[in-house]
Amino acid sequence: MLDVLYIAITIVFFGLMLAYVHACELLGHEPVEGEDRP
Amino acid sequence: MTMNGWLQILLFSAVLLAVTKPVGIYVLKVYDGSFRWLAPLERITYRLCGIDPEEDQHWTRYAASMLIFSAVSMLATYVVLRMQHALPLNPFNRDAVPARQAFETAASFTTNTNWQSYAGETTMSYFSQMTQLAFHNFVSAATGMALAVALVRGIARNSAGRIGNFWTDLVRGTFYLFLPAALVLALLFVQQGVIQNFHQYITATTIEGAKQVLAMGPVASQEAIKQLGTNGGGFFNANSAHPFENPTPWTNFLQMLAIFIIPAGLVYAFGRMVKNQRHAWAIWAAMFILFAGGVTTAYWAEARGNPIHAARGVDVVATATNPGGNMEGKEVRFGIANSALYATVTTDASCGCVNSMHDSFTPIGGMVPLVNMQLGEVIFGGVGAGLYGMLVMVVLTIFIAGLMVGRTPEYLGKKIQSREIRMAMLYALIFPASILLFSAASVVLPMGLKGLNNAGPHGLTEILYAFTSTTANNGSAFAGLTGATYYYNTTLGLATLIGRFAMHVPMLALAGFLAERRVVPESAGTFPVTTPLFVALLISVILIVGALTFFPALALGPVVEHLVMGAGKLF
Repeated sequence: MLDVLYIAITIVFFGLMLAYVHACELLGHEPVEGEDRP
Repeated sequence: MTMNGWLQILLFSAVLLAVTKPVGIYVLKVYDGSFRWLAPLERITYRLCGIDPEEDQHWTRYAASMLIFSAVSMLATYVVLRMQHALPLNPFNRDAVPARQAFETAASFTTNTNWQSYAGETTMSYFSQMTQLAFHNFVSAATGMALAVALVRGIARNSAGRIGNFWTDLVRGTFYLFLPAALVLALLFVQQGVIQNFHQYITATTIEGAKQVLAMGPVASQEAIKQLGTNGGGFFNANSAHPFENPTPWTNFLQMLAIFIIPAGLVYAFGRMVKNQRHAWAIWAAMFILFAGGVTTAYWAEARGNPIHAARGVDVVATATNPGGNMEGKEVRFGIANSALYATVTTDASCGCVNSMHDSFTPIGGMVPLVNMQLGEVIFGGVGAGLYGMLVMVVLTIFIAGLMVGRTPEYLGKKIQSREIRMAMLYALIFPASILLFSAASVVLPMGLKGLNNAGPHGLTEILYAFTSTTANNGSAFAGLTGATYYYNTTLGLATLIGRFAMHVPMLALAGFLAERRVVPESAGTFPVTTPLFVALLISVILIVGALTFFPALALGPVVEHLVMGAGKLF
């Protein structure tokens, strides 16, 4: 039973990290050029 | 403090400076593909694993490859530890590792932390030590190096977010850097008396006539990568205080040097990759100044000793026959200077091996390893981890400098804008969040308090140190905390995972975002990154980020313990 729990924690954690990659990619989608301040 | 002690610290510093450039050139050749002498083995590995070595991965794919590799190897280790009783090379019939400890150990070694809540010689089979723990010692180190190189590529390139190939970086780092270096160092260790065998444990009769079991095993091979990969997990429970792991002053010196040698060389390689060697030396100088500050403080505090001992008549003054100071928890053969130096080196880097017990240091002496880790282990740091942590700090420094002069900050010709700062801040905030939230929960929950062996500020320091060490992927233990419980095995295991992967992702995103930027020429408003002013500002940012986030906790732990010690009370 504990084995299932710890394996599930591991899989869920890495699944969240993969979603986190996608979230960071979305955060990076913005105009990036031409907004330099004088 | 003695002249002999200072000379040893100076010798270590001089040798580190001397080896930085040659090691850096070697590291550069590993990752630019110059080395081909294991090309057939590389090709077979790629073919067997279905890897296209020519693929230049987008940062999202690079991150996903790293995460999937880490998840699969962690699960494999978990399964082996749970089944070691049924696997070969188990001459002492070690039972399966308990589930909670198998989870923590698998997480800990996958993340290059090597926090150990077990005694290796009484828990692990030779099979587990050699195929799982040693495997992770190599690949977790190679993963750290790969990520640092990926970030440097992001800074150096304009490649639409593509930062290299995780699999080739992993394979090259393992084959050309860590395996050959570990082989050479292991042979040096064996020559000095570190054991390497598969013998049965030996029962010896002591001088007093008592029976003592001496654990054996393939120690030297694991010891070498333990240092070079800044892993830190000892074959024996006593780690590098054990005479079979660290038998002579030379092995002690080599171990400390092996911890710093690749991170220092990587800084030089960084300079070559971004074609700005003076900037790399400026970063090296900032790292060295922080290192020198740490070792000076630790050596001073330990050589000064405990005033309560002095008040009770214990001789704490160094003489020709007495080391003086605080020798509790230290090996007589290493003394105070080498214990303070080792503690500083191992926590500047993310190594975590120890040749003395940090719990027995004076409050200020023990605070040095704690602060080193809380600064993000950017003082040379772990293999790869030190450089990418430091580069995130550089980005924040450039941002602050840009705010001061009212211009969009630029770093090596790349504009630093909001999305880069978001990623840098995510990286900088996840670290203290994990440490402080887990520590805060542990000092109020009964299951957290149950693991404490000391009361008062020292107890708080023990908990704070445990979550700092695991989140920072250091792995050194302050001791005094019973970590082998369901609560601590699970939370400390989670802290290692958060401290590694939840910080890797924004760092790789930062690499990808920088790789999307065009290089713009320097202008009069560009903040110079090769001057003493830059070094001073960088050090200030590192110290202020650390001070702002951790000072309240430190004030309640080691600082108050130091003040109370002055009033005659110990914990």
